[in-house]
Amino acid sequence: MVTIAAGTQRRGRRQPEEGQALILAATRRVTRQRVLLSAIHSVIGLAFLLPMLWVIDAAFSVHASPLLTRPSFTLVNFRSALSLGAGRAIGNSLYLAVVSTVIATAVSVLAAYALSRQRVPLKGTLLVGTLVLSGLPITLLLIPIYIMYVHLNWLNSPFYTSLALAASSVPFAIWLLKNFIDQVPKEFEEAAAIEGSGGMRILWRVIVPLATPGILVAAIITFINSWGAFLLPLVLDANPANTPASIGIYDNILANSQVSYGPLAAYAILFSVPVIVLYLISTRWLHGGFSFAGGVKG
Amino acid sequence: MAKLVLEGVSKTFKGKPLAAVYDLDLEVEDGEFLVVVGPSGCGKTTTLRMIAGFETPSQGVIRIDGKPMNSVLPKDRNLAMVFQSYALFPHMTVAKNLSFGMKARHEPKATISREIETIAGMLGIDSLLDRKPAELSGGERQRVALGRALLRRPQAFLLDEPLSNLDAALRVQMRLEIKRIHKQFPVTTVYVTHDQVEAMTMADRIALMSGGRLQQAAAPERIYDSPANTFVATFIGTPKINLLSGSVVSDGGACHVTFLGCTYSLDSAASKALHRFAGSSVTVGFRPEEVRLAPGGGGRLPTAQGTVELVEPLGSETNVVARFDEQVIVFKVPARSGLSVGDSIRVEFEPSQMKLFDPDSGASLDLGSAHSEPQLSPIRV
Repeated sequence: MVTIAAGTQRRGRRQPEEGQALILAATRRVTRQRVLLSAIHSVIGLAFLLPMLWVIDAAFSVHASPLLTRPSFTLVNFRSALSLGAGRAIGNSLYLAVVSTVIATAVSVLAAYALSRQRVPLKGTLLVGTLVLSGLPITLLLIPIYIMYVHLNWLNSPFYTSLALAASSVPFAIWLLKNFIDQVPKEFEEAAAIEGSGGMRILWRVIVPLATPGILVAAIITFINSWGAFLLPLVLDANPANTPASIGIYDNILANSQVSYGPLAAYAILFSVPVIVLYLISTRWLHGGFSFAGGVKG
Repeated sequence: MAKLVLEGVSKTFKGKPLAAVYDLDLEVEDGEFLVVVGPSGCGKTTTLRMIAGFETPSQGVIRIDGKPMNSVLPKDRNLAMVFQSYALFPHMTVAKNLSFGMKARHEPKATISREIETIAGMLGIDSLLDRKPAELSGGERQRVALGRALLRRPQAFLLDEPLSNLDAALRVQMRLEIKRIHKQFPVTTVYVTHDQVEAMTMADRIALMSGGRLQQAAAPERIYDSPANTFVATFIGTPKINLLSGSVVSDGGACHVTFLGCTYSLDSAASKALHRFAGSSVTVGFRPEEVRLAPGGGGRLPTAQGTVELVEPLGSETNVVARFDEQVIVFKVPARSGLSVGDSIRVEFEPSQMKLFDPDSGASLDLGSAHSEPQLSPIRV
C-alpha cells in the first residue's frame, strides 16, 4: 500500500479517483490470494481429515467398508475388537510404553545433565553423533539386538523389550534434554552448592523442577515411539500373551484374508485412547510455561 | 568467623591470553568487611568466585584460617554467597528457599523453623514466606537472598554486587541494612562492587582492582588521602580528582614543583625524594574540594587564571568546571556563588593536599613518611 501511495505522490498530482482505484485493485488481488490459499489449506486439511473421519464412521457403523458409509451407530465393532484381545493387547502396550519411558527418561536426564555441565572430551562430536544416530532406522539394529538378546536369554520378556525400546529413544531424548538443561542458569546450581547441597540433591531439587517442561516433552516423545513400536516387540517377544496392540491389530485383523473393517476401526480407536488422554493431560502441565521467573534478576 | 588469605592467586581462562586475575595477595581479617571494587572486567568477580570455589586458581593458594582451600568443593567451604541476580529458586516458596541449605545439611526440623522465624522477622520478610520469588519486588528478593546467606551461619560472607539491581533509593536503604546486619553478625565479609560510593561508605578496608591486579588495599580514608597511583586517585572520589601536568625544577638542594603557573617549594625530605625528577615533568593531583576561588585581593598562595565552562549546582554546593590554558579543572564552591559560564576566575590550591604522581607509570611519589603530609611553603610566582 505504501509503495502505491508513494508512487502516486512521486508522479505528481494525480486524480484522487485513480489512487483509490489502484488501492481497490490491490485489495482485490490480496483477497484473491487469500481465497486461493484457504482453498489449498482446505484441500490438504481434508486429505488428512478424511481417513480419521472414516475410522470414526467405520468403528460405529454396522456396514463398515473401505468407503465412507451412511452414518449409523452401533457398538458391535468394539465388542468384536475386545473379544479379539484388544483389551489385553492395549494393556501390554501400556506396560511397554510406561516402562520404556521411565527408563529412557531417567537415563537421559542423567546423561543430559552431565553433558550440559561437565567438560567432556569431544563433546561436540559426541552430541552431533548422538543426533545422527537417533535417526538410524530400527531395521538396521533389529538383527544385532536380536542376536544379543538370544545370548542374554532376554527374549519373550516385556521388561527386556521395554529396555530395547528405551534404548532406541535415548539418543534423541538426550539431545533434547541437554538443550533444555543448558538453558537453566548455572547460578541456581552454584547457589545450591554453596548452601552445602551435593550433586544428586541439586539435580533432583533444582534442575529437574526447572527442566520439567523439557523432561515432559522427552517423556511424551518416548511414550509415543514405544506406543506405536511394531518391529522391536515383534522380533523380541514371540509370546502371544505379551503382544502389544500395535501387533495385535495386525495379527488379528489385517492378517486375515477377509479384513473386517468395523472391528479394525474400533480397535484403532481403542488403541488411540491412551495417547489422546496423555495429550490432554500434558497440555495442562505444559501450559505452565518455560520461564524461570523471579529466580534470576528481572 | 575466619581469616581469609589469598597468596599469589592468578587465574587465566582458556583461550584468553590476558589473565583475569594476576598475582593477587590479599588478607581479610576475621570479622572484617572488605570491599573489592573496580571497573567492569577488573577481576573482582573472578576473585570472589575463586574464594567461593566455583573457579580454581591457576596459580597461588587460597586459605581460610590457614587451611588451603584450592581443592575443597564449594559445598564444603562453609561460605555463604549472595549473587548479583539473587539466584532464588523460582519454583520454591520463600520459606523453602530459606530452608534449602539447612535441609541439605540435615538440620532438625525444629531448628529450621525457629531459625527461619528469627531471620525472617529480622529482615522484615516474615509476611512473604509463602510467596514465590516471582511475586516479590527487587528489594524483597534481595532480603530473601540475604536471609538465605545468614541462615548458613558461614565462616565468611561473599556478596557479588548485591545492590546493583536496585533503584537508587533502595540501594541507600539496603547499604545501611547490610552494615547493620554486619554489626549484628560480625562475620568476615567480602563485598564486590563497581560503585565507589558503596565502597567508601561500607568498607572497613577497600581493595581496588584494575586489569586483574590489586592497585591498593587500605582503609577508605587512606585510599582517599593517599592513593597509590593515578588510577586509585581517579576511581575513588566524586567528582574525579584533577590531574595536572607539572614540572620539577631543582634549585641547589631544594626542589620546586610548578604547574599552571603556580610554584611550590618542597621541604628537604620531599626534595630529596623528588630529586630524580629534577628537570622533568610530574603529574600533580588535587581533589575538587582542595581547589578554591582565590580571595578577592589575592592571598598568600599563588593562583591560576581561568575561564568558567560549566556550573553544576547541586543544592548544597556547586561544582564548577573551568579551563586553564589547555587544562580543565573541576572544583567546588559554596552553593550560591553567583558564578556563570564565561566568568574569568582565579583559583588557589591547598598545598598540604598536593599529590604527586609519576607521569609515566602513574605511581604515587612518596614525598614523606607514610602518615604525614609534606611540608610545602608556597612562594609567589
